[in-house]
Amino acid sequence: MGIRLYQEPRLANPVLVAGWPGIGNIGIIAVDTLRGVLRAEEFGEIEPWEFFYPKRVSIRNGELVDLEFPSNKFYLGKTENRELIFFIGEEQPTEGRGPYAEGEKAYQMANLVLDVALKFGCHRVYTSGAAVAPIHHTMRPKVWAVPNSEDLIGEVRSYDNTILMSDIEGRGGQGTITGLNGLLLGVAKRRGVEAICVMGEIPLYLQGFPFPYPKASKSVLEVLATSLGITVDMEAIDNLVARSEREIEILYHSLPSEVREQLEKLRHVAYAKPTEPGPITEEDKKKILEDIDKFFRKEDKGS
Amino acid sequence: MSGECGSKIYRQVAFQSSSLVVGWSRDAGKLGPKVTDYLNRQLDAQELAEIEPSDFFPLGGVSVEDDVAQFPESKFYCCQERNLVIFKGDPPRAEWYKFLNSVLDIAEQCCHVAELYTIGGMVSFSAHTAPRELLAVANSPEVKKILSRYDIVTDMDYETAPGQRPTISSFLLWVAKRRNIAGASLWVPIPFYLVAIEDPEAWRKSLEFLDTRFGLGIDFTELDEDISRQREKIARARIHSPEVDDYIRKLESNISLTREESEKLVAEIEGFLTKRE
Repeated sequence: MGIRLYQEPRLANPVLVAGWPGIGNIGIIAVDTLRGVLRAEEFGEIEPWEFFYPKRVSIRNGELVDLEFPSNKFYLGKTENRELIFFIGEEQPTEGRGPYAEGEKAYQMANLVLDVALKFGCHRVYTSGAAVAPIHHTMRPKVWAVPNSEDLIGEVRSYDNTILMSDIEGRGGQGTITGLNGLLLGVAKRRGVEAICVMGEIPLYLQGFPFPYPKASKSVLEVLATSLGITVDMEAIDNLVARSEREIEILYHSLPSEVREQLEKLRHVAYAKPTEPGPITEEDKKKILEDIDKFFRKEDKGS
Repeated sequence: MSGECGSKIYRQVAFQSSSLVVGWSRDAGKLGPKVTDYLNRQLDAQELAEIEPSDFFPLGGVSVEDDVAQFPESKFYCCQERNLVIFKGDPPRAEWYKFLNSVLDIAEQCCHVAELYTIGGMVSFSAHTAPRELLAVANSPEVKKILSRYDIVTDMDYETAPGQRPTISSFLLWVAKRRNIAGASLWVPIPFYLVAIEDPEAWRKSLEFLDTRFGLGIDFTELDEDISRQREKIARARIHSPEVDDYIRKLESNISLTREESEKLVAEIEGFLTKRE
């Protein structure tokens, strides 16, 4: 099990930005877009065979020529004032259970990523993912930010459009970040590296659909750009968002009218401080969320 | 005796350079389990070793199949006279790379295995009356050259289709290649309506190759009886159901069935062949 580096660049105080697939592929789209914008180049990988089942076999003229595994690659990107290492994993190591990493393999993977971060002197790690929220898809997704140190709370709070767990009603600052986006945060803490996980909101009714939600990726990208102090050309992601919006609208209007009526109410649900209270009562809000939850449970059973 | 990586070695056998045949318990037409069982019976093979399941299978209970509780099996058998080692196992559910290396560790360290053959069934849209073919994928040009001397298709091109994954046999073949162990995966196309049940003609096709390759002197009588029985049963199904007969006739004439027709044929044949007599 190992890391394979094709080059060993000398870097000055870089940061590492990691992304894995997850709900709506929000995190990985944000990270991959940033990687593309900065034209970051591949410089290493984690050997995948101990973590993953292969994804493709190539047989030519009766001979096995290649077995391809999900990729786990490191890229190096630079701006005028910042050097960034990207890590992009095509899958999370699951040990054959759920879709998100857990257990020994996930821990090993997180440590290997951090080994590379520390080898090149990274002082900070960013991970990104999705936050399922009772919002309407026409709203601008906020970004839930979770640092691995109290010292970072002030900084995180200063970012535009960002909320902490304690801003979310009923959570009391508590929550769980599943998979490697969360685990890397914890492993970084254990190894003395500061880290922040930024999660873009996805409407709860879109979380189960098998398509990406780049609108939330854009929110994540904006926060990453602010935090990194870099300017990012948003054209590529804006195009993705426009296409996705059209697809979601088509889907939304194909829903039964009674479902749409319920979902419309989400336009007025305020669940995070310090948002201004909406024109509905707390009781209404509870009822809306319960009805929507009930509807989607019923849909799940039916499918 | 306990070996490395959670394995148990039951006996020490002095092999010089042996061959390994690998069959997986879950296989199209029950090819893997039936061929390995037939080999073990015919060669009076002895239990040699096994891999402990705890690292590779979820052990939160047991699955029940055909009314019987199952438990993952990863067992080696050997026939010293023929220099042959047989592995019969369930495909692991986790730690695939470690598991496949454990298979090869035991094969190399206990049996000095120099070459391996995996056997397996693949789905075919031909009729059961068409002769079975044997296809091979080699992990080196040298193995391919050896196989081309036999009645085997050795020029297959294939790439995993989107949404699918390679087979565990392909993974094993790749691991063997990394370890410089010569090997090939052998495949028999199985009529789709026999995939979930049994295809003794496919078992025979695999066994014929192994028999010739290793000079095993296999007695096929028992297997030929199975083949005759199944042919008769399907013939009766065709008489009993003109629809089934029509579908099979179409396949025999290389005419594709619609999805609905295919599903109906599978249901009818499975019902007929698994009916208690």
